[in-house]
Amino acid sequence: MVTEGAHIRLDLSGTAHQEEATGPEEAVFQLRGVSVSYDGRPALRDVTLDIPRNRITAIIGPSGCGKSTLIRCLNRMNDLIPGAEVRGQVLYHGQDLYDPAVDPVEVRRHIGMVFQKPNPFPKSVFENVAFGLRVQGIRDDLEGRVERALRRAALWDEVKDKLKESGLALSGGQQQRLCIARAIAVEPDTILMDEPCSALDPIATQKIEDLMVELKETYSIVIVTHNMQQAARVSDRTAFLTAEVDEAGNRFGVLVEYDETEKIFTNPSDPRTEDYVTGRFG
Amino acid sequence: MARSRFHEELEQLELKLLTMGELAAVAVRTAVDGLVERDDAKARAVIEGDDEIDALYVAIDHGMLTLLALQAPVASDLRLISTIMHANGHLERIADQGVNIAKLHEVTKHLPTSQTILGMIREMGDVAVDMIRCSMEAFRHRDVALCRQLDEMDDPLDRLNRHMHLEVAKLADDPKALDWGMHMNMVARALERVGDNCVDIGEQVGFLVTGEFREFTDASRTGVVADED
Repeated sequence: MVTEGAHIRLDLSGTAHQEEATGPEEAVFQLRGVSVSYDGRPALRDVTLDIPRNRITAIIGPSGCGKSTLIRCLNRMNDLIPGAEVRGQVLYHGQDLYDPAVDPVEVRRHIGMVFQKPNPFPKSVFENVAFGLRVQGIRDDLEGRVERALRRAALWDEVKDKLKESGLALSGGQQQRLCIARAIAVEPDTILMDEPCSALDPIATQKIEDLMVELKETYSIVIVTHNMQQAARVSDRTAFLTAEVDEAGNRFGVLVEYDETEKIFTNPSDPRTEDYVTGRFG
Repeated sequence: MARSRFHEELEQLELKLLTMGELAAVAVRTAVDGLVERDDAKARAVIEGDDEIDALYVAIDHGMLTLLALQAPVASDLRLISTIMHANGHLERIADQGVNIAKLHEVTKHLPTSQTILGMIREMGDVAVDMIRCSMEAFRHRDVALCRQLDEMDDPLDRLNRHMHLEVAKLADDPKALDWGMHMNMVARALERVGDNCVDIGEQVGFLVTGEFREFTDASRTGVVADED
């Protein structure tokens, strides 16, 4: 780990070698007893799981089960919510993400995020993708980096002749892929997706799903989705969360089951998972 | 309750499969009785009744495909649909074996018989019909122990089928009796197949209950020659 000023930079050097040493199931995240509360009210309780590298991990569950809360723990997005408190440990490549010395901006450079609603900046297509690079002070080969990011996001062929046009002029599906290009332009190693297709039509959804499968060769992907069939189609592992209510009437999320996606959708171990995926509850 | 219509439709198709099982059992029972008792009416009833079974097979298959296409079933629902589709095919084949036996009655009804062979066929018929009903009970009650019982019930069918040609060979001095006997060898083979179909249904029910598919017997390793000694 390399220190820089008051913050600790996240050191990912050597992770490629670790993959060879430990096989493809190396964990990119290790959550240990993670609980989240907002203004003292529990939102998520005691989640422990490992998220493997270069896989797509889906988080599913009914409304209010803490799916978004969980994914936001993975790049410290909860820091931005007043009153939010995260307890337990979130290890990222073995480093404690919530160590006070870790710079949350640095965290979000390594762990990109794509949101439910496409949110391109009111700038040109090119500037949307170049934005993160400029923020990081990257000046060299800007055009090449933008083109590579757009190609990886399967958007280049559609926008190469309108790079100077506004990102807001693109279709919803193109805007979401633009946001993915923006996220990967800064070369993160993980992409978090919070309901990335819920605002898209089936064709745009299909393109994003195809893209996710291509991207997992390079990135680890965590996706929150309400669409169980989407989780079944694209993910390698699936975590099922459900909501419980404590004696004080607080509703909070708990992890019920976490396994290979095929197992979750053919023969889940927990009857609560069975009831949810078969539509008997939720 | 969410998806209640889907689950109601699935239950209806499950009931149709149980009906299919009973129709197949009656077809085999009637066919064997028609053959042993030389009752033309029973043989005809089996042949004519097969259209109803085929129609039910198609209705169940269509219903399952529709649920797969429209409801994207998963977990135990998916396993149930898979089991029903497999069992449906097996039961349709079982009913066809009943038709085969009924047709074999038609072509052999003027030939001399052997009481020993008829006794063997009656015994095989009794076991086969018991196995069809047992497989449906295993399915209805999701009973893995009953599924395993099917494997043991199948043993006498295999044994009687293997010994049938030896009994037929004893008819060699009478060409007409031998002709009849050769056809009875085919009847025995049809009933032995019914037993195998029932064991396969049991394996599917085991998969439905446990989520893991296991063959109770491995046909490729059955020691046919050794068992005959």
